Amino acid sequence: MTTRSRALLTSILLGLGLAAALAPVAGRAQTAPATPSGAASPPASSEAANPPAAAVRGPRREKTVRVILSGPWTGKRLADGQPDIEGDWSNTIANQDNFTDPQGGIPGDPQARNRRLGPRSTRAPSRVSDPPDGQLPYRPWARALQQEFLAYFFNPIKPQYIEPFARCAPGGIPKSFYWHGFEIRQYPGYVLFLFNSGHRIVQLDDTPHLPKNIKLWMGDSRGHWEGNTLIVDVDNLNSKARFGRTGDFASENVHVVERYIFSPNGKRFNYVATFTDPTVYTRPWTATVPMRRYTVADQPNGWDYEVLPANDPGGPPIADHYERMCVENNGGFGQVAVSRAEH
Amino acid sequence: MTRASLAAALVSGLLAAAIAPAVTLAADAGPIPRLANGRPDFSGIWETLSNADEDLEPHSARDDAAPSAGVVVGNVIPYLPKALEQKARNFSARATDDPRLKCWTLGTPRDIYYPEPFQIFERPQDLTLVFEFGNTVRDIHTDGTLHPVDTDNEFWLGDSRGHWEGDTLVVDVRDFNDETWLDRAGDFHTEALHVIERWTLLDANTLDYRATLSDPNVFSRPWTLEVLLYRRREKNFHLIENYCFTLDYDQYYPYPAR
Repeated sequence: MTTRSRALLTSILLGLGLAAALAPVAGRAQTAPATPSGAASPPASSEAANPPAAAVRGPRREKTVRVILSGPWTGKRLADGQPDIEGDWSNTIANQDNFTDPQGGIPGDPQARNRRLGPRSTRAPSRVSDPPDGQLPYRPWARALQQEFLAYFFNPIKPQYIEPFARCAPGGIPKSFYWHGFEIRQYPGYVLFLFNSGHRIVQLDDTPHLPKNIKLWMGDSRGHWEGNTLIVDVDNLNSKARFGRTGDFASENVHVVERYIFSPNGKRFNYVATFTDPTVYTRPWTATVPMRRYTVADQPNGWDYEVLPANDPGGPPIADHYERMCVENNGGFGQVAVSRAEH
Repeated sequence: MTRASLAAALVSGLLAAAIAPAVTLAADAGPIPRLANGRPDFSGIWETLSNADEDLEPHSARDDAAPSAGVVVGNVIPYLPKALEQKARNFSARATDDPRLKCWTLGTPRDIYYPEPFQIFERPQDLTLVFEFGNTVRDIHTDGTLHPVDTDNEFWLGDSRGHWEGDTLVVDVRDFNDETWLDRAGDFHTEALHVIERWTLLDANTLDYRATLSDPNVFSRPWTLEVLLYRRREKNFHLIENYCFTLDYDQYYPYPAR
């Protein structure tokens, strides 16, 4: 653990949910600190450290994707006319262990050997909602490369086999949407996404994207509202952030059109994004990630809702977000991290 | 406000008073943008023109810094003797030891006068600062909440609670770690750092920023730095994420160049 992570671990809370949900390598759970509020970490039992996919519990473990149709927005609006969708959100299915079988765990996980997965139909569907078979339409060379990443995920003998998250890299697109909860803040002309690892400033205008040769972890975003749907055009992606621990990927030629479709009551939205990248895929494909809202009525936790009650004597309940820094990844989960942060 | 800008404001204020007695001094400097609740609106992209990050104190030209009269009120940072020795060691090793070189979070207040732009997003209950360098995000709470009850938090940016004194945003920042420097010259602090910031729009495109720093482990008394921040007004100008801490491993992803 680096000095950096030591300082942060004592400060930044919530190692606990992380330890529970991230399938940490042996020993990492012990580094999970108490939260600043003094709540103790849950026991680092193997069950807590790596729940079997079949043990579905909590809102994060829903098995279906609710249909939300695009249409008019009838809910609350902000002064500038945008639908008011500010607040905390998290996906309802699973983390980034497996892109196309989200509750299926990481293929080849040595810690999962004694666990039996039920039939595929007992788990949430693939995040690939089109093509209908739920598989990424890789070109043969790209499929081979994805399989190579996956084969070496637990034995990363070359730097490129290390999942970039393990080095505190930003989550990129779409992974940021199923890696912890996230916050949306809105301003005239902007929607701001604050993720656990990385941030996005979405401009609500039609100014041109950055020059093509500028490549970014989180891309360059231009958005606009159509009724209940925020439509965002994303370009300039460096595509260095994989889609998850199964090694799925795009190239830096990818172009993404995202549709954030909000339910009438404002409590849910579906993230529906179409990826076009002839370098890697034989056809465009679509990802769908269902989300739900979290509010002060929900219990804070280290995964979906990383907040603590604000110090607000006598005032209404307010949830504070402490500073968003990469910390846990310095510990070497997923599975071997060698970071220059050791300097 | 600097003495020069104060004088300018006074002169123009008097001028305004002569021709339009009802106009306030601030309004005369050009109307400042405001939120619907009447508070000054700091929204926008800002950057200093100073070279404060090279060295806060006055210095002659050298290999890694242009000459500057500095930004420290009274010129000298009041180090305690032991701390001054540490500063000297930091200065000697600045070419290798500055945390900036690893693209680590710069901290408060260094993020403000580092020579890369940052964007302020403002709501009544908070200001969100996004710094291009490292794509760091800092929250300044203006909802009346207090610092966390627990005082052993060690944040890179500190915990920021602000309130308005007229048109000036006053921010109390504490609960720091000791990982950051204040500039490239090795000026430093410990976890005991306490910063009080004062942010004031001089006009629609100029922010006056003052920070008073105290740290009983390092300084003999509180001291103040002051810089001006200018709005970036180039056509279509916006932040470009600079996750520079990934640069040393970027080459391996998404797959090695073939």
